[in-house]
Amino acid sequence: MSVKTIVLHMNRVEGDLEVHVDVADGVVVDAWCKGTMYRGFEKILVGRGPLDGLVITPRICGICSTSHLLAAARALDDVFDVEPPPDAHRVRNVTLMTETVQSDIRHTVLMFAADLVNPAHRSDPHFEEAVRRFEPFRGESVVEVIRETKKILEIVAILGGQWPHSSFMVPGGIVSVPSSADLQRCLWLLRSFQSWYERQILGCSLERFAQIESVAELHAWLDESPRHQNSDFGFLLRAMRSMRLDEIGAGPGNYLSVGSLEMPNDTRIKAVQDSHFLEPAGFAQGTEVEAFEQESIREHVAHSWFMDYPGGRHPFDGETRPYATGAEGSKYSWAKAPRYADRVVETGPLAEAVMSGQSLIRDMLSQGPNAMVRQIARIIRPVRLIPAMYAWLEEARGDGHYYVKPKPLQNGRGFGLCHAPRGSLGHWVEITDGAISHYQIVTPTAWNASPRDSENRRGAMEEALIGTPVKEVDNPIDVYHVVRSFDPCLVCTVHTLRKPLNREWNGAA
Amino acid sequence: MSKTLYWFQGSACGGDTFSLLGVELPNLCELLEMLDVEVLWQPSLSNGTPSQHHALLEAICHGEQKLDILCVEGAIVRGPGGTGMFDTMEGVPKKDLFARLAKVAGDVVAVGTCACFGGIGADGEIEATGLQFLKATPGGFLGSSYRSANGNVVVNLPGCPCHGDVIASTIATIAQKAPLPLTEWNSPVEWYDLLVHQGCVRNEYHEYRIEEREFGERGCLFFHLGCRGPVAYGPCNKILWNRRSSKTRVGLPCVGCTEPDFPQSHPFFQTPSIVDIPIELPDGVDRAHYLAYKGMAAAAAPDRLKQRKTRV
Repeated sequence: MSVKTIVLHMNRVEGDLEVHVDVADGVVVDAWCKGTMYRGFEKILVGRGPLDGLVITPRICGICSTSHLLAAARALDDVFDVEPPPDAHRVRNVTLMTETVQSDIRHTVLMFAADLVNPAHRSDPHFEEAVRRFEPFRGESVVEVIRETKKILEIVAILGGQWPHSSFMVPGGIVSVPSSADLQRCLWLLRSFQSWYERQILGCSLERFAQIESVAELHAWLDESPRHQNSDFGFLLRAMRSMRLDEIGAGPGNYLSVGSLEMPNDTRIKAVQDSHFLEPAGFAQGTEVEAFEQESIREHVAHSWFMDYPGGRHPFDGETRPYATGAEGSKYSWAKAPRYADRVVETGPLAEAVMSGQSLIRDMLSQGPNAMVRQIARIIRPVRLIPAMYAWLEEARGDGHYYVKPKPLQNGRGFGLCHAPRGSLGHWVEITDGAISHYQIVTPTAWNASPRDSENRRGAMEEALIGTPVKEVDNPIDVYHVVRSFDPCLVCTVHTLRKPLNREWNGAA
Repeated sequence: MSKTLYWFQGSACGGDTFSLLGVELPNLCELLEMLDVEVLWQPSLSNGTPSQHHALLEAICHGEQKLDILCVEGAIVRGPGGTGMFDTMEGVPKKDLFARLAKVAGDVVAVGTCACFGGIGADGEIEATGLQFLKATPGGFLGSSYRSANGNVVVNLPGCPCHGDVIASTIATIAQKAPLPLTEWNSPVEWYDLLVHQGCVRNEYHEYRIEEREFGERGCLFFHLGCRGPVAYGPCNKILWNRRSSKTRVGLPCVGCTEPDFPQSHPFFQTPSIVDIPIELPDGVDRAHYLAYKGMAAAAAPDRLKQRKTRV
């Protein structure tokens, strides 16, 4: 058996990801995901003012800056022991959900579906139509998505000043005080986006789609109307099946969600099982859900380009000293390897669908996970989010109460968790003598594109690649499908240092 | 004949790419078509396999494929110890690849503060630098004497991110070979010869020195909350973000993201001051006269502002 190693520097992922796969007898027999860029955010954060994470950390990622802002703000809420007013939670949530729905659609159509246009699929009956819809810069759906997704982001600008890279969330709430007219304009934007999403992406109303609870009902829905078959979702479903994306990319089968979208008081929206979050926290093996404990997170560096420590460390105790060995030895990535309760896990929309008990996705998972169901969970996530966005925009009061000033503080620590579009995100921060002394970030892609850990276990995406067929070594199309189904975002591989410091600081602004 | 464009990402977050996707009219696809610009490569959007990309890069660097416009997003990484190994492609430092592209590019555009001045990583161990500046110091990765194949300096479009309209307009100007007057920071005069303060809806509060001390009040953010609007140059309050608003309009202090020293070393959301007078005053003002004027203005402030009735 001859083994050939293929090195792929991936495009249409955020940031720099190289995938190395060993191929024997036409299938992937081993895989390594390498984050090839180290950005050293630690030197920027450590020693800075306690609120500086609100300005610096959104700049980690151009597509999920609001997610980093929310995690940073939640961490500071925890540090200052302050609970934002309910309407501040509503506005924070709506902006995160806005970022999420634009990302879900842009990723699916601009980044994921472009692989259906790959010449490797030339003989597939769906190829010509895929080109018509998804060819970069020209495809009909591509042009539509570029035109429409930027409009929904105007909600973040109205509520928070700009997208990307706002810093409008602060410990105790938000700096803005939206007026009734501001909230009304957001509702109009949402209405317009919903109509477009129903027409272009789903081919039916949100209500109709939400009725689909099983694979059998999904088939029935598809057969029901040409509008369903010819929507982008309907076409993707047909094409992904035909191109056999439901036979590749299983992954570890363990899922993690840290919990996201804090439920405000007195909301008409009901959370699953009275969770504090609209998107509940949980750890699942298959579809069996257990409680999530943030204390059970550990990060390993045995195969990451950092100075070694034994086993794994919790983010409050983490350390990061870059140690570039190049291609020598066992280290191969700038991403650390986070593990939950000593297990390799996957995070993202698929995990969220499992935790929130979505019947359709859980039914699809009964046949085993794959790249297709991972992408379906992403493109239908707005069906679940949009109704809550309406509720929270309608419930928030114009010129209302959006901020509670925290008491000044010199020392403290806290953490903030939420779901970025790509999955679970956490910030852990420590303030010493009025300045940041420790800042640790664990991103969705650190979970998904993790390298091996100290027990030599592969990361989730590495595991998902095993067994992937490779027909052309110059163009291993199924490898691309599997990798992009995780929506990796490598700009987020950032790490931290702990160092003593002294700086005067007199309160939370 | 089509103009060609290659979009290079160094140490970047992708924010400028997403800012460009937000351009209103023409949208990105229409713009490229109107200008007859062919995108050879955009890492977030292009199709093409890694091996095709590799072949494209070789063709560009060997002069077999012409490159009219090289857009650079993100800083050039030189660390550790000048090796560039903190940011590699297929084991090769990306800084070396960028150096080859810069030799053949017709024009070079630094998109965003990281590419212009080093930005987020300029003080970090990654030894990040801008293309022709390191923070406020001329030089950067390419050196002050660098000129593109068309004989031009690197055009700087600072901002974190840079506004999409600014990127689109600059690409259009270069593609059409129209004149592009630049500021002392090599940024287009059109977009960077005005302060963020211009057009802020809180200007009347600034004028009469009605100050915001706590988030969520109506007032000027400059005196206590660290707003850089009267110091930082950029069109945020002229062209607005996402066609709707700006940071200062919603009560978020300007963080000075277009400035060569962004991110500033002193804490955000605080104005360094001595007895309530900011140490740094609006760009270019005479301190003594400014203080006298502000004292008189505060005394003349109308009640509707003092009572913060005027909406922002």
